[in-house]
Amino acid sequence: MSTFIKKFIEREKINRRNFLFASAYGLGGAAALGAFGPGTARAALTDPTIAWSYRNRTNPYWNEIVSGGEAFVESLGMSKGALTHLINEGSSEKSLADVKAILAKTSGNLALAIDTNDAPNARPVVEAVAGAGGYASTLWNKTDDLHPWDFGDNYVSHMSWSDEGPAEQTARILLDAMGGKGGVVHLGGIASNNPAIERLQGLKNALKDYPDVELLAAEPADWDTQKANQVMSAFLTRYGDEITGVHCANDTIAYGVLEALRAEGIEDMPIVSYDGNPQAVKLVADKKILATVFTNPHWGGGITASLAYHAATGHFKPSEEPNEHREFYGPTILIRPEDAVEFKANYLDSVPTYDWTDFWGPSNGAIVYK
Amino acid sequence: MTILETSGGKRGRAAIGREVLVKWAPLLVLLVLCGIFALMEPRFLSTRNFARILIAASPALMVAIGVTFVIIMGSIDLSMEGTVSVCAVAFALCFLWFGGTLASWAWLALPITLLVGAALGFINGLIHVKLKIPSFMASLAMGFVGTGLAMVTTGGDRIRIEDELFRSLLTERILNFPLMVYVAGIFLLIAWFIQTRTTLGRNFYAVGGGEDLAVASGLNVNRVRVMGFALAGMFFSVGALLAVGRIGIAETATGNNFMFLSITAVVVGGTALWGGIGGVWNTLVGVLIVFVIGNGMVVIGLPGYVQDGVLGILVILAVILSTDRKSISFVK
Repeated sequence: MSTFIKKFIEREKINRRNFLFASAYGLGGAAALGAFGPGTARAALTDPTIAWSYRNRTNPYWNEIVSGGEAFVESLGMSKGALTHLINEGSSEKSLADVKAILAKTSGNLALAIDTNDAPNARPVVEAVAGAGGYASTLWNKTDDLHPWDFGDNYVSHMSWSDEGPAEQTARILLDAMGGKGGVVHLGGIASNNPAIERLQGLKNALKDYPDVELLAAEPADWDTQKANQVMSAFLTRYGDEITGVHCANDTIAYGVLEALRAEGIEDMPIVSYDGNPQAVKLVADKKILATVFTNPHWGGGITASLAYHAATGHFKPSEEPNEHREFYGPTILIRPEDAVEFKANYLDSVPTYDWTDFWGPSNGAIVYK
Repeated sequence: MTILETSGGKRGRAAIGREVLVKWAPLLVLLVLCGIFALMEPRFLSTRNFARILIAASPALMVAIGVTFVIIMGSIDLSMEGTVSVCAVAFALCFLWFGGTLASWAWLALPITLLVGAALGFINGLIHVKLKIPSFMASLAMGFVGTGLAMVTTGGDRIRIEDELFRSLLTERILNFPLMVYVAGIFLLIAWFIQTRTTLGRNFYAVGGGEDLAVASGLNVNRVRVMGFALAGMFFSVGALLAVGRIGIAETATGNNFMFLSITAVVVGGTALWGGIGGVWNTLVGVLIVFVIGNGMVVIGLPGYVQDGVLGILVILAVILSTDRKSISFVK
């Protein structure tokens, strides 16, 4: 018999043996599951694949989020490249398909951090992960009726931000700078986005205490610098000198507004924004923007991955944690010109090294449903 | 006999009337739009507002002119978003590397950017012609490659160009209009010169009007196509320079929205997607129509949530009024 055929038969034998072992293991596993009943978590995973699923890196905000995820992976002694990126490009269908694909590839040995792109998509994603025995932590999007504690340990946590309060704070700073009178315009995010709605509501809340300030107009600028530039130009035509203050839904919008004003030679218009991007913080230090709000996306991105990972590896047991450790608000830091320099030194010049096992230290309390 | 002659004469007169009408229809649409917005809000007609519209329109005009050449050839180029992003980022990096002010060697970044744009267009054209991939698909794919390239180069960051001299494109005004408007005007004239006074320009029409005929006349159609895409790429890069000049930021997102804006503008201006008809003046009018609609809707205070819908309807109306659809038997 030729060696080739001998080897072939040998290999087939081993394959068959492995197959039998695997089947027995599988049956045993199923029996064990049956014995302990559904809902009992599987034993902790070893060395799970760590993945972040998000829109894309073009957006500075998501770029910060993912850099946090990379920093966490590096803190485990792995290289940046060990983090698997699942990029949904704004498609919920792709988001879910990617998750299912990686679950199949890793056989559920997965620690997933994810923004599911829209709220309804969170349920199928979480169900798929829990069904395969993986662990998931979500950021930003989920429906109000979906809760981590309904999934035992596998749906680890959800973090979001409430923007209404901080946006109201920046609005008050703006309205005070306007001397409590005149006209304000608001340039918002994509009209249907939750943060866009909350940030406009923050302005409206503040306006109740300033009867002499008129909200001249609120238009969506889609989080986009160029669009904001055009909308602000058109506002200048429509309202001209009536505009004495501008409330922007985020920093990228503020950049477009500043340039539209610059084109007209207007240098001292009071403006506030949101997000605390490095460039915006510099503009706050220069008093071109009066205030912005930092939500620490770097920490948010890192801690979301860390929660999923540490739950997966059995470092802590999510089902033993109180509800406010499973659904909580992320941090918000208000930055004004007087804080900007210190803030820049602490957070931007050198990114702080976070303790990625201090899961809830910087967070902001349990999520409240209206 | 006499009856036949009369009817023939009538048809002749009607045809001339229609031709003139079709030629000037886009401009009429533009004037009517301006009239409507001015009636609803007199401030729309101010010089300062026209300056604002032109500032917003200048980068898009350059991109639209680039794609006009390609559309005249009967092809389409959808790579503008990627090309604009790559050119913007390449310009910003070169500009800062050479010293960060136009007063130094950094001016070299300007011609380099034009070359980068032309090179991307050239590659685009080669892929289309040599690999025989439809221009629609080849250019769309190249656009994605460009966006990815810009992304990898910047790592998702935005690059600020603070040089006062370069930003004078926006801040310096002559007769109430900033310099970038004049720069766009100069490139419009260059494009018009290419279109009417060069062999290449005439060849675009030959290819778009009837490719078989052009081939039979001994024209190297493939060469014309590749040159067309390279020229388009160069105009995209001028658009990128003006876009950076307007906002002072170069990033991957610099190219966003240019595809919809430029293709819409070209079609609304009366350049036919099936090739051979139209030109850069049509595109100028088309770009102005799109930006007048955008500006006018905010100026008259139309709520944000109806603006997109109204924009769509107005674009369809503008296409109906400004393109000659009578001579074609089918649309695909």
